[in-house]
Amino acid sequence: MDVPVQQVIRPTTVAEALAVLAAQPDARPIAGGTDLMVQLRDGRRRVSCLVDLGNLGLAGIRQLDDGVEIGAATKMDSIAADGGVRRHFPALAAAAGTVGAWPIQCRATLGGNLVNASPAADTAPALLVAGAWLTVVSTAGTRRLGVEEFFVGPARSALMPGELLVSVFLPLTRIPLGCRLVERFVKTGPRREQAISVVSLAGRAVVRADGGLEAVRLALGSVAPTPVRARRVEAVVTGRRPDAVARREAVQALGHDIAPIDDVRATASYRRIAAAVLLDRFLQEASRA
Amino acid sequence: MPERVTVDLTLNGANRTFEVAPGRRLLDLLREDAGLTGTKEGCGAGECGACVVLLDGAPVTSCLVLAASADGHEVVTVEGLQRSSSLHPFQEALVAHGGVQCGFCTPGLAVTGAAALARGPSDADERARLLAGNLCRCTGYLKVLEALERTPSEEADHASP
Amino acid sequence: MPRRERAHLEEAIGSGPLGGHHERPDARAKVSGSTRYVADLTVPGMLHAAVAVAPVASARVAGLDLAAARAVEGVEAVITAADIPGKNLVGVIFEDQPLLAGERVRMVGERLALVAARTPEAAWAAAHLVRAELEPLPAVHDPVQALAPDAPHVHDAGNLIRTFRVVRGDTARTRAGVVVEAEYRVGGQEHAYLEPQGCLAIPEGRQRITIVASCQCPFYVQQAVATVLGLPLAAVRVEQAPTGGGFGGKEDYPSEPAACAAVLAFATGRAVRFVLPRELDMQVSSKRHAMVIRHRWGADRNGRLRFAEVKTVLDAGAYIGISTVVAERANVSSIGPYHVPAVRVTTRVAYTNNLFGGAFRGFGAPQVTWAAEATMDRLARACALDPLEFRRRNLLDDRRRRICTGQSLRRPVLVRECLDRAAALAGWDEFHAGPRRQDGPKREGMGIGLALYGCNLHHGGQHLDRSSAVVILQPDGSVVVRVGLTEMGQGNLAACQTIAAQSLGVDPAQVQVWQPDTTTVGDSGPTVASRGAHASGMAILNAVGRLRKKLDPLAAELLGCNERDVELAGGFASVRGEPGRCVPIARLASEMASRRIEGISTGWYRSRPRRFDAATGVGDPYEFYAVACHVARVTVDADLGLVRVAEVSAAHDVGRVIHRDALEGQVQGGVVQGIGWGTSEELRLDRGRLVNPSFTDYIIPTAADVPTIRIAIVESEGLGGPFGAKGIGEPSLIPTAAAVRNAVVEALGVEIDRLPLTPPTVVAALGDKHPFAWVVEEEKLRGRTEEVAAGR
Repeated sequence: MDVPVQQVIRPTTVAEALAVLAAQPDARPIAGGTDLMVQLRDGRRRVSCLVDLGNLGLAGIRQLDDGVEIGAATKMDSIAADGGVRRHFPALAAAAGTVGAWPIQCRATLGGNLVNASPAADTAPALLVAGAWLTVVSTAGTRRLGVEEFFVGPARSALMPGELLVSVFLPLTRIPLGCRLVERFVKTGPRREQAISVVSLAGRAVVRADGGLEAVRLALGSVAPTPVRARRVEAVVTGRRPDAVARREAVQALGHDIAPIDDVRATASYRRIAAAVLLDRFLQEASRA
Repeated sequence: MPERVTVDLTLNGANRTFEVAPGRRLLDLLREDAGLTGTKEGCGAGECGACVVLLDGAPVTSCLVLAASADGHEVVTVEGLQRSSSLHPFQEALVAHGGVQCGFCTPGLAVTGAAALARGPSDADERARLLAGNLCRCTGYLKVLEALERTPSEEADHASP
Repeated sequence: MPRRERAHLEEAIGSGPLGGHHERPDARAKVSGSTRYVADLTVPGMLHAAVAVAPVASARVAGLDLAAARAVEGVEAVITAADIPGKNLVGVIFEDQPLLAGERVRMVGERLALVAARTPEAAWAAAHLVRAELEPLPAVHDPVQALAPDAPHVHDAGNLIRTFRVVRGDTARTRAGVVVEAEYRVGGQEHAYLEPQGCLAIPEGRQRITIVASCQCPFYVQQAVATVLGLPLAAVRVEQAPTGGGFGGKEDYPSEPAACAAVLAFATGRAVRFVLPRELDMQVSSKRHAMVIRHRWGADRNGRLRFAEVKTVLDAGAYIGISTVVAERANVSSIGPYHVPAVRVTTRVAYTNNLFGGAFRGFGAPQVTWAAEATMDRLARACALDPLEFRRRNLLDDRRRRICTGQSLRRPVLVRECLDRAAALAGWDEFHAGPRRQDGPKREGMGIGLALYGCNLHHGGQHLDRSSAVVILQPDGSVVVRVGLTEMGQGNLAACQTIAAQSLGVDPAQVQVWQPDTTTVGDSGPTVASRGAHASGMAILNAVGRLRKKLDPLAAELLGCNERDVELAGGFASVRGEPGRCVPIARLASEMASRRIEGISTGWYRSRPRRFDAATGVGDPYEFYAVACHVARVTVDADLGLVRVAEVSAAHDVGRVIHRDALEGQVQGGVVQGIGWGTSEELRLDRGRLVNPSFTDYIIPTAADVPTIRIAIVESEGLGGPFGAKGIGEPSLIPTAAAVRNAVVEALGVEIDRLPLTPPTVVAALGDKHPFAWVVEEEKLRGRTEEVAAGR
């Protein structure tokens, strides 16, 4: 059955797209549509005009000197397969490979995953630990914001009316001499593939030769109204070796960083336990690798 | 009044033009407007894979693609997997290995499998991962995975749609 | 069976397609996308149907406002209860269920009004604009509570629908050294067939109607449509469309959308197609019954069962449907294939305002088997015996072969054989001999599920156990076969083709089986109870036998031999013992045609009568039985509660293999569906509303969840079905979840008495044994501290 929209516009330039978005407040961009089409069908979103972003050249992954730039319309399967992303940002590559299943990955875009702003968005934890920067444009100009500012609430991003997310930049970080980088993304759900995460965790640790954590960034999904950085945990473990004592303190601190709820997918109690397990396992792996 | 959109696409190798409602899904363009009922609707939410078609060679759930978005692109449905009157090697393998029961998931599965073969060699875990978006309730998947494993690869390369 | 027919049968086995893995006749069309299911059919001028449903589980309907619905452009009709030409009743057995709600809503999804429109968009938009004035009434959402004296009544006569029993010996007086008590909460299941419910209704004025339906029983649909339209049965033609999966979910439920489409078709004079959107299908169509099963079983210290008490309550939902029939099977299957001197089973069926309970592969047996096998393991542990050995000490065999109802099983009794074969395939002894993998939080375990399945319909359903076939020999030697049993993916077409080809001595490719149609064969009952191959096969053999009464004399004439010596095999009629003296069957067929000898014959089958007392459960509930044993090996990530089934070894007592690929396909499909039921498929309800009505949140197995499956097929001589075949559709699922549960329990060392074993359920079962259980405790304390601090 048709989705209930009155108009579809297919601009060929970003300027054209922005002009439409500025002129029609109830126009909404659509890229892969893997979330939006479901919402339109269910009546959870009512949109009278869709602006198709498919012809704007917003897909592509560019290796730059100081990082990797990913066009907002880049599909998940491209991200999962890209050599540069796999090498420098393995958590993001892994996350992209868990979105839905293969046919969804061939359609869903990074930008869509972010703008949909689900607390369970698979790519969000990886982007949070990478300290990604988002470039947003409108008829008023361009602005950049850190990914941490992007998630405002459940299903609410920081995009203002008329704005379009065009690219995501992941900065390369310099690893101090003698240290190594351990980066992981894990997601637990009700089955192996094609599952919305019950808890997801991305961890990025710079590990010293003596096993101590020089720096660590942790982010989780599905345990709060938005994807979150686990700052109290980071504060507890930074500078220390993640031995059993440190890990227990880390798990204790985690309790203050997350605020899971009961929903159709799991209970808050289960999420607390699963988050603790994933954190503990990441820290153990960081110490071992 | 909804503004109709014109969709020009290559469908199973032929250039076609359709004029449809803006909210038309690619799935309905294929089934209703093009009369290609091989592609099925199992859930309408991109979760079951019964509606999978190839969009520029990649498998996508056509229930989530606007017909308008397919303009200027190439679509192949299960009907287009065949070469003249022979089935695609993966379709033959599904028949030979008993991988077809009720048949409702089969067209989507055949398309995803053909795309998986065109992608290149894979191991058992990868094959299972690539097919995980095509739900089947009848077969328990084993004969389907066997069929995918045993589809002769040279034939598959030549037959890539 | 007459001696002559049996002789023909016996000579036919030995060569021919029986037991082979030739191509299934419907596979090629299905794989190329050319098979047309209901949603692929259109008729010029066809309208689309939609339905307005109640969003609450219990209410009085004070009024319906249809004005906004009627005003939607493209709407041709809006129908309520008052507009039904015949009786406002649907439901296969009982008259408790209206097609459209009158004054009462009893379940979420109760139909309030029907809409027919020129597009499905208009139809569903209109349906959503139907305004119902509903006054909420008390509801009951637990089947045990529903049977309490103060529970709100779903129907006037109270919530207890029926009670079934099996009583043998005196359990109260039987002593046992080891007694185990448990309460099992077994969840229901959604069929999740890939093709949603749907049908197409094509009226001929208001005199006759054709329904093309995705269904397992065109005859039920015929009856339902005749009832709501007020037509004689002969004026309702139902053709079964190629059906995209059923599993029991399309046994009786399709009568409801068919009756809806029929009423709309008569109201508008146009063809009407009705396809349910997935979410609505999941909410309103029938489900596997959730059950609460209480056990008190006892054994002596040598590990021999002494008594078994079972108290089961089925959650029927708001309408009975066929819940009483499910309860009958559950009732007599509660004990399993074990010798138990004293038995007391009480099975009660309760109304609630929950989901509509109905047929689902196994039909009550999987639930009670899950409980029985859990208790068997509990007893084994209490007796310090290995679960395999414990079962061996108690199973029925050729010597001790009375089941709990007193019925004597026919020999050979293959319980031990199946148990041993499955255990051997699984490597049970090796697995338990060595040290088990305790790789951090990953635990391994192995578990057994063992079941005795009563083939075909229960005694209470005997009036349905008949089957009709038509065989038409074409002048060119090809053969048309019609039966009343349906193909839904399980391979009935292949079975019919194979049986017909085997008995006629022709290549299967010569035999074309066409879709069942109520105007071509007699009422053959529903394709359920694993009876498809049995019932169609027996009727086909009967038809072929009658056809041979015409064929054999002609062959004898052409071959110059005695009629009794005519053999059919390999496409030829030949003289017994002299294969060189032969004539092609195609030649016989053309000769028959040119001589105007009747080449069409009908066949009929009905089961033999037997005795069974429904009040006491004493007697012969089923004609014969099949044994199924599954042994599962699992790996559990104990910390996350994730269950991964690594292997299932399955041993099945099948009598005779008809089509090897179809049989394996059934076992593999049944195992995977059983794993889904046992570990991830949960029907989450909020006051009767299904909270997860989509594949996003109703989690069925994908290709990535499949274990290794090893299959041992045990064939035997028996008087069962066609060529001795028993059914496989349900035995392939019945013991799986039990085997998985027992394996998980072995792996973790804690009992789990609720199904499914989802991660939260597994983690909850671990309780304080979980290394991070303290996290939840701390959170609770923190919550209370914050409340105190806030002065609450």
